[in-house]
Amino acid sequence: MRKLAMALGGSAVLVLAAWSLGRETSSAQGGRATPGAAALDSTTAPVLAAADTARLKGPRQPIFFRHDIHAGQYKMQCQYCHYSVGASSEPGIPSMQTCMGCHLVIGGADSATRAEIQKVRDAYNQKQPVEWVRVHYLARHAHFPHMRHMKALGPTACATCHGDVTRMPQVFKVNNITNMGWCIDCHLEKDVSRDCSVCHY
Amino acid sequence: MATNSSEQSNGGMNRRKFLSVVGVAGGGAAVLPGCSTDRVQKLVPYLIQDENQVPGLATTYASTCTECPAGCGLHVKTREARAIKLEGNPDHPINTGALCARGHAGLQGLYNPGRLKSPMVRNADGSLDPVSWDDALARLSQEVARAGSGTRVISGAGPGTFSDLLAAWTQALGGRLVRYQPFDHEPLRAANRRVFGIDSVPSYDFGRAKYILEFGADFLETWLSPVEHHRGFARAHGYHDGEMAKFVSLTPRMSMTGMNADEWHPITPGSEAAVALAMANVILSERSGAPSDANALRGMLARHTPEAAAQEAGLGAEAIRRVAREFASAKPSLAVAGGIGSQHRGAEMLCAAVNLLNYIAGNVGQTIDFGAPVPTGDGYGALEALTSAMRDGHVGLVIVHESNPAYTVPATVQFEAAFTRVGFKVSTASVLDETAALCDLILPNHHGLERWDDLRPRPGVRSLMQPVMEPVFDTRATGDVLLDVARAAESGPLAQFTAASFEAHLKQAWVGVAQARGSTDPEQFWVDALARGGVFEDSPAAPVVSLAADAAQIVATAPAFDGDGDLVFMAYPSPMLFDGRGANKPWLLENPDPVTKVTWRSCLELHPDTAKALDVREGEILRLTSPHGSIEAPVYVYPGLHPGVVATPLGFGHTAYGDYAQGRGVNALDLLGAAPGAGGGLGFVAYASTRVRTERTGRYQQVPKTEGNPRQLGRGIAEAMPIGLAQRGLTPKEAHYAEVGGEPHEVNTERELEALAGFAEAQEHAATKGDYVGEHPQWGMVIDLARCTGCSACVTACYAENNIPTVGEQEVLRGREMSWMRIERYFEGGEDPGEPVEARFVPMLCQHCGNAPCEPVCPVYAAYHTTDGLNGQAYNRCVGTRYCGNNCPYKVRYFNWFPYNERSFPDPLHLQLNPDVTVRARGVMEKCTFCVQRIRGAQNRAALEDRDLMDGDVTPACAQACPADAIVFGDRMDPESRVSRAGRDHRGYHVFDALHVRPAVTYLAKVRYQEEG
Amino acid sequence: MAVMAHETHVPTQTHAEVTRDVVATLGKPSRGYVLMLAGAIGMFVVGLITFVILLKDGLGHAGYTPPVMWSVYITTFVFWIGIGHAGTLISAILYLFRSPWRTAVYRATEAMTVFAVMTAGLFPIIHIGRQWIFYWLLPYPNQRYLWPNFKSPLLWDVFAISTYLTVSTVFLIVGLVPDVAAVRDKVSGWRKKIYGMLALGWTGSDTQWRHYTRAYLYLAALATPLVLSVHSVVSWDFAVGLVPGWHGTIFAPYFVAGAIYSGIGMVFTLLIPLRKAFKLEHMIQEHHFDNLGKLTLLTGSILFYAYMMEYFIAWYSGVSWEQTTFYLRAFGPMWWAGWTMIICNAFVSQLLWFKKIRTNVTALFVISIFINIGMWFERFVIIVSSLGNDFVPYAWGQLTPSWADWGILVGSFGWFLMYFLLFARTFPIVAIQEIKEMIPMPRKRPGVLH
Repeated sequence: MRKLAMALGGSAVLVLAAWSLGRETSSAQGGRATPGAAALDSTTAPVLAAADTARLKGPRQPIFFRHDIHAGQYKMQCQYCHYSVGASSEPGIPSMQTCMGCHLVIGGADSATRAEIQKVRDAYNQKQPVEWVRVHYLARHAHFPHMRHMKALGPTACATCHGDVTRMPQVFKVNNITNMGWCIDCHLEKDVSRDCSVCHY
Repeated sequence: MATNSSEQSNGGMNRRKFLSVVGVAGGGAAVLPGCSTDRVQKLVPYLIQDENQVPGLATTYASTCTECPAGCGLHVKTREARAIKLEGNPDHPINTGALCARGHAGLQGLYNPGRLKSPMVRNADGSLDPVSWDDALARLSQEVARAGSGTRVISGAGPGTFSDLLAAWTQALGGRLVRYQPFDHEPLRAANRRVFGIDSVPSYDFGRAKYILEFGADFLETWLSPVEHHRGFARAHGYHDGEMAKFVSLTPRMSMTGMNADEWHPITPGSEAAVALAMANVILSERSGAPSDANALRGMLARHTPEAAAQEAGLGAEAIRRVAREFASAKPSLAVAGGIGSQHRGAEMLCAAVNLLNYIAGNVGQTIDFGAPVPTGDGYGALEALTSAMRDGHVGLVIVHESNPAYTVPATVQFEAAFTRVGFKVSTASVLDETAALCDLILPNHHGLERWDDLRPRPGVRSLMQPVMEPVFDTRATGDVLLDVARAAESGPLAQFTAASFEAHLKQAWVGVAQARGSTDPEQFWVDALARGGVFEDSPAAPVVSLAADAAQIVATAPAFDGDGDLVFMAYPSPMLFDGRGANKPWLLENPDPVTKVTWRSCLELHPDTAKALDVREGEILRLTSPHGSIEAPVYVYPGLHPGVVATPLGFGHTAYGDYAQGRGVNALDLLGAAPGAGGGLGFVAYASTRVRTERTGRYQQVPKTEGNPRQLGRGIAEAMPIGLAQRGLTPKEAHYAEVGGEPHEVNTERELEALAGFAEAQEHAATKGDYVGEHPQWGMVIDLARCTGCSACVTACYAENNIPTVGEQEVLRGREMSWMRIERYFEGGEDPGEPVEARFVPMLCQHCGNAPCEPVCPVYAAYHTTDGLNGQAYNRCVGTRYCGNNCPYKVRYFNWFPYNERSFPDPLHLQLNPDVTVRARGVMEKCTFCVQRIRGAQNRAALEDRDLMDGDVTPACAQACPADAIVFGDRMDPESRVSRAGRDHRGYHVFDALHVRPAVTYLAKVRYQEEG
Repeated sequence: MAVMAHETHVPTQTHAEVTRDVVATLGKPSRGYVLMLAGAIGMFVVGLITFVILLKDGLGHAGYTPPVMWSVYITTFVFWIGIGHAGTLISAILYLFRSPWRTAVYRATEAMTVFAVMTAGLFPIIHIGRQWIFYWLLPYPNQRYLWPNFKSPLLWDVFAISTYLTVSTVFLIVGLVPDVAAVRDKVSGWRKKIYGMLALGWTGSDTQWRHYTRAYLYLAALATPLVLSVHSVVSWDFAVGLVPGWHGTIFAPYFVAGAIYSGIGMVFTLLIPLRKAFKLEHMIQEHHFDNLGKLTLLTGSILFYAYMMEYFIAWYSGVSWEQTTFYLRAFGPMWWAGWTMIICNAFVSQLLWFKKIRTNVTALFVISIFINIGMWFERFVIIVSSLGNDFVPYAWGQLTPSWADWGILVGSFGWFLMYFLLFARTFPIVAIQEIKEMIPMPRKRPGVLH
């Protein structure tokens, strides 16, 4: 029935045209590497507790993992955790083992942090992997080879699409990457292939 | 969307557990329309990173195929720790990289919805109920202890460490093991025993043969080692530099193998032996050079004159003489017999006669290698003996392993009745087959891709099997079950088996293997062997073979047929379903039979004249009645048949074995008598042993075949030329005129030619604009019809690689099959009486036209030309006007009339989906993409390595699978690429050249031995 | 327009009577009318349900049998486009040619045109695989930088049809204005209000008439070329394709002739009962039918010629697949369809050589039914039998239409008749003011005039 609705909705073509134009401009405003939540200075991340996650942008995660602390304050390379991004189409999600590599030792400065880190340890000990809420999707008929983009744009290019996570206590979607226009803009700018079958097959 | 259950169905975290990123590993079901991105999805990380698994990259494991006894080597492609594609292992001596349709479909055995999800036990009320492994094993141990030496084991497992263990285990109990294969080629063995005194089946080297003579051995389909034979046959019979072997087939029914013959003679069923002996007679009396001890045969052979044989076989004596002389003068040559299809009561005599023929022509030791015998079981006789033992109630416990006798022996044997008299019946079937359904306890075995083992298909070849992923269901390797039982019985005969697991046991065995080869580091040896797929060494030198004493005591008497019907009934093995084990795999059911092009069910094949005489048309349901039973099935009229024969494939008509198999087609065995008294006691099942009465029912059933019209109406789709003309280097067109006479005349006027030239120029120019600027490969393909045998391995490979849905019988009836690659089969001749009928195969796939008719008519640019010369199809852009489908001259565009993507991958079949390929939703057009995902993958790899693509970097699934190497793929812009070189062959032509669509696929005309017109 | 005054067949009534009679058709609906309307709506509902099912499960319910990828839906689409043509021909071209006999019938035919095109317009949506994104066929700016393919005849269709629909609708509305005014003056209450609005404040003043006739003339001139263009474009859907049986240069004229032929057929089918129901015998007279009959004969004969040409060319070309296609069209599995088309169109139309038949309303009605059937089958044969047996014999397939095909076909007729009947109820089905124009200016005599 959704289809029927869409079919009927489709008849309002001009409306759609206007709408799609609107979408383009809005995504343009979204811009690249928009600074994340609040104006944070890049060296030290603010002190926040899980309780604060509600007012932060983006979905709440089972564990209040702080990209701004790991990637921002401690300047860890994205590739340290997202290990396969340079080699594969998939960036790779760090295994619990990777987390424990540090957090066996690092227990956290304040009580709030300790609480969160404790969750990681428990999860690992109970052999229960954490189920992160996914933030960035692509439609499944669009193939995005991460490694090609890393190769072409360098290891710091992540922010181009994902925004500056070094300033995000909680990761949120900065750019409308599900929108084909987002890809095309860049491919035009960089003058790389816009052949459909490069991504759609 | 098929994806989400894929995570659930794999609970627990451990090694080889895949990263469940939906849409990354989510069954690859990139389902259109991909508007599901607003749903909340979870990213579940590994607990511990598996060093073998990088998300998004395929990991390949070497293993061994268990779909038939041949024992081909596999390369199993896994993504996120799920097997998604099977390919041949290039290092493996049996199949050297190729794989048949059945082998590819092994994947659907792994993910089969019909698989048992846990052990089952029969309860008081007689129903089978799930049970825990502990209870099941406890029950088994107890029963084993009770039965002790009364234990009997029926096993279809090929020779290997597991079989050794099973044998030793049974021995220890004092029980008996019956190694039973339905197609065990007992006549062949018996004949070797009788003629050469060697009790084994040799391996045959078709590659060296210059002349091949077939008496009903479908060596390209089910006979012994089909893929190996394919590779040899393509080498010998594939036309190259003016040479090719000649292949003559003498069988009542032209099988797919027979379709590849240069001459096919429909001889009377049962007359083969006489013909073979007559040929032997001709050779022995006319030629010298036969081994000296052959002289002992003169007397016996003299009785078999060509005239007499010709009389019996219904073919000219001259033909027999000619073939015999050609056979003798081509050295080495090869004659083969003993196929299941022609396994009549005289089969042993037939094989013996052919042995003599080979021996006299000096082929034994040349093309026939007794040094490398192929694995065989104990034969049907052993099963018959066991059956009567069971009937008399002497058997306390039966364990049935990888075998389904309740289905594979004729009903007249009354195996079922005997079986049910056994005290306790155990099955290790992973699918509830006919035999398992009768059992009291079912301990589902791991699939071949889930367990450890090794196979020895040849002396010198030890082919390893390893688990490539976590078990799909709660099953257990039977090897472990045996060891568990042994462990449970602290004392007693089984106590000697102490290995902790079958894996340990296997490794232990391989320590021996390593030491035997003087390896100092067994662990390293093992790792290397795993990576390679096993150890592959040359088989020991062939022994010197001479005639046995009673070799001369051969008399070819026409075999007896039960019943008084006027048609001889031939049950031939289906190239897709083999002995019936393929019947639960939709890929095999939908892949049309190479000969009849019928899918999803079995039909009764009749010669056109016979059909006329009986006044039946295709689709009318006919009842066949033999003394042993009767079957009803629709008629299929097939010219490649002896008029006195009605044929139907084996492997259908299951009464159990999962929803796909159940009640599909008819079981040909119902017409056979093999019980003692009714022609039994032969030591084998005589599949062609009855005469049948026919009876019209007046009911009709449309035949689900994929062919529209079997004649190509002179449209030059499947071209062929006589070898004489090929040797003169003629093109198909020239060859045509050389045959029918006349001169090739240019039909176009000056102006037309000018226009065409101008048009072509404009096309070239257009191809230098926009994205098309610069160096791009232009992908192309060459298909050599002289090598293609029509085996359809490429078809299943394509289904597997490209997530092609199977649509089912009802949709096939409406011509809606989705097969991107189809093997068209055309008949030539055979219309007026006496004219020989000839079959030609042509694989038809998207031709990726340079000037494609489908592209300009698409209103939304879903069909468009890519920069690298592909005819692109953007599924997510397609709105489904189907104009492209209408305008495609090759009819290779397929439309999703229904949501096939949701219907044809029931859990867990969706786990086989290739994550790199979008699963097409309903309402969009799809077609062959030249495996664009492989092209892009290769380009990505090359880019990471800062290099250009090299020739051979990209191999589409079809080319990779082809056992005959008939398909070459590559860049047409590179003059040195294999595809460019192959394309320059004088036999090259494009289908429908007159349309000027400039296809990227070049066909090389077939070459035949035939009189030039 | 005084030129028209000296015409034979002058209506015998006064202006007042004309208005009265016509307005009378807008009175209380008869039982027969209500039943017909109910039937039409019922048929439409059948189609609607079928469409919803197709939308839910996919096109598979229809009888499509590859390689036949187009079948009943496209057939019906072309059929309705064809129907549309007679309207414009009669109302516009004959207007330009100043043939007065059109006046009585043109309003009805024009309405028929608009509704037929409306019906046809539905099919491109119904027949595509993913109906809910049909708007991708239209050029509109979007963030993907994607445009439709202007090389594709289907896109030409989109433009041809929308243009045709717009122009003929405007033409119909403009033609209505004075009559609506006349009605407005006859009725009272809320109806007066509505007609008042639609009359756009028409007073019948001199200036208004002067502008009005100009405007009407220009619109007629604008509509005329469309009669030829639209169906030519539709014919190219096929002629541009490679499919044997489609790939012919005669398609444009062949289709246009066929369109007009089928259109007039439909005019007969609609007008004859209507004339009876609304008692308009004295306005829509036999000579009108006589003339329409001649037109039918002409176009029918053109079709006859085209059919013969198709076969001749197929034989003369010496191209194997062309010959096979046309052989099978006559003697293949679809022979019945092929012969239906030839008999109903080529042969039946020849009966119209006889004036007796041309002026016999009953005979014409029967013939018109044959024409409708024949023309539907013409498209069916061209599409289905050609696709069924084209280049690759191995892939040949024969179509068997299913309930879904018939459901949509019935629905389309329902949709069309529903609108037509509603129109006939609501607006003057005969052009009042043009009839009046043909009446000589009356001498002083009691009776109200406008």
